[in-house]
Amino acid sequence: MSKEEMFKELSDAIVSCKKDAVVASVEKARNEGIPPAEIIEKGLAAGMNEVGILFERGKLFLPHVMMAAGAMEAGVSLLEADMPKEEASKKLGVVVNGTVEGDVHDIGKSIVSTMLQSSGFEVHDIGRDVPLQDFIDKIKETNANMVGMSALMTTTLPGQKEVIEMLREQGLRDQVKVMVGGAPATQAWADKIGADCYAENASEAVARAKELLL
Amino acid sequence: MTTEYALRMGDGKRIFLTKEQIIADLEDGSADAADLGEIQALSGDEIDKLAEILMTPSRMVGVEPGKEVPVTHDIGTIRIDGDQGNSGVGIPSSRLIGSMMHERAFGADTMELGHIDYSFKPVKPVIAQEMQTMEVCQQNMIVPLLYGAMPNMGLYYTPDGPFENPGDLMKSFKIKEAQESMEHAAEHLTRDMVWIMQRLMSSGADGVNFDTIGAAGDGDFFASLHAIESLRKQYPDIYIEAGMAGELLLGLHGEMEYDGTTLAGLWPHQQAPLAAKAGANIFGPVVNTNTSRTSPWNLGRAVTFIKAAVEASPIPCHVNMGMGVGGIPMFETPTIDAVSRASKAMVEIAGVDGI
Amino acid sequence: MGMPISHIMTSGMSGIRAAGDLVARMQLSKNMRIADAKDYVAKKLEVSTLDLSDEYVMRELRDDLGIGVITSVAGAPKGIAAKMNIEKLLDIKINCCEKFRNQVD
Repeated sequence: MSKEEMFKELSDAIVSCKKDAVVASVEKARNEGIPPAEIIEKGLAAGMNEVGILFERGKLFLPHVMMAAGAMEAGVSLLEADMPKEEASKKLGVVVNGTVEGDVHDIGKSIVSTMLQSSGFEVHDIGRDVPLQDFIDKIKETNANMVGMSALMTTTLPGQKEVIEMLREQGLRDQVKVMVGGAPATQAWADKIGADCYAENASEAVARAKELLL
Repeated sequence: MTTEYALRMGDGKRIFLTKEQIIADLEDGSADAADLGEIQALSGDEIDKLAEILMTPSRMVGVEPGKEVPVTHDIGTIRIDGDQGNSGVGIPSSRLIGSMMHERAFGADTMELGHIDYSFKPVKPVIAQEMQTMEVCQQNMIVPLLYGAMPNMGLYYTPDGPFENPGDLMKSFKIKEAQESMEHAAEHLTRDMVWIMQRLMSSGADGVNFDTIGAAGDGDFFASLHAIESLRKQYPDIYIEAGMAGELLLGLHGEMEYDGTTLAGLWPHQQAPLAAKAGANIFGPVVNTNTSRTSPWNLGRAVTFIKAAVEASPIPCHVNMGMGVGGIPMFETPTIDAVSRASKAMVEIAGVDGI
Repeated sequence: MGMPISHIMTSGMSGIRAAGDLVARMQLSKNMRIADAKDYVAKKLEVSTLDLSDEYVMRELRDDLGIGVITSVAGAPKGIAAKMNIEKLLDIKINCCEKFRNQVD
């Protein structure tokens, strides 16, 4: 089996959302001598990316996404023994994610958190209607290098701008990438408030986060 | 020099496009809908007609005489008296005045009564006021007057409601528990919506508008379909409008079914027959506007989805065309040129029964 | 407010300025698609479907039938009185009219 075929098998196993299939494929890839980092990035993570796309196309549902994420976690933990300690514990990035103060919308933000987490980011979902200072506190506490802010109402959108200003005031802006989203947010809004990126949906959020942090 | 036409981005910003660019975006948007929904893309003639509407050199356009359709109203009188920084214009007025202004000043074909929060659950503590306001409005109004509210199943989860937040449960891989929480919430939501409408029907309401069904995923649609079914059984003559929240019914539970059909992942043309089966009189399909795309792309996409829904629906379809849906820019004060063009396109090309 | 008004100006039937409320009632009470609803109402009013959105035709007709006119006309049926006449005209039952009759009886 070529490497490409092996990656395809790993990816398909993730899309099947079956832990047993993923574990079996990972074992097979290990036995074929494929480096763990490649198994994860080109096989498992590629599969998770496909899962995200299928979710947004209405072909897979949230429980499937979670099952796929669980299967990926099982696959990665098998590989950890083969990896140098620092590499095994290495995350793609640390993200603080939440819906800004005054806004109780939760679902979209939670899906973004789930997709980021299952793609290899360490995610701290701080919930909805989050006081703006809590974003700053959590960033400091977790040493995060990215913050995601959601707002579903035009009235709460300015909260995203305020957090960026608070990051500047605290001298944290250069070390933290800012991602904004939510129905009234746009690329123009992101540019206007000085955010690093805007994402339309969960799979785009993962892609943007990877672009900014890797 | 190539002629350029002033159009809009999905966020409302003015842009200039050539005819070739407009047609390319219309085709691209239509193809996207066809691909996602596994439906027919617009024909060349329909694309040409859409382009013609978009390129009309006047601020407003209008449907051909004889092709007019009823325009129904959601969000009650919030557009008049709403002052929460949303699309309401904050004119202090009673809801009777707001309703009569819609009927007599604006020429609305139907109207609805709703409360300022606009979700069903908070109606329960103020039900007596809603009933009496409905009575007063019915005494004065002539156009059909529904009661309108959002199912908003999210209000049944912690911290707003009694059931554990399925989002949190899912994140801890407690999939079964998350699904059970959604099932409990759906049961309570159905019960509340039926209870509220029983009282409003006793106060003379013409019926109900379920607005933004599915905002909390497939469970929200499940609860609404069961409420529709129950109300239809109890009140054979009740007017029921079922308006959706988005184009795709998000599968948060994933396994809920109605009439043997899995609800998760349904597109507008698949949602309409279920609303009809439950007993709705009018279905309100929705297609979301992408703020990063042009108005031709969004309109080509929206018209493709809605045309398929109109064809598949056994009941009239009143397309949802508010802020950020149906090809309308996502902006609190959507530009009149964009609204008017999208409106005409939905009537003349998608063939909607109303807006 | 610009958005709903733009829709009404572009595509709407103008409510009680013309016959939009009547067509909407047939859609809502009998699930009629737009063409059927217009045909039904036009036949009951003995006008063409084109006339249903024509304020010139409908103003006088609404006045004559006592089904409500948009401007203030002293003595013209309003509210439930107008709707009771709409019930008879369209051969449908309207919930608030039923409730009104029950209270009077």
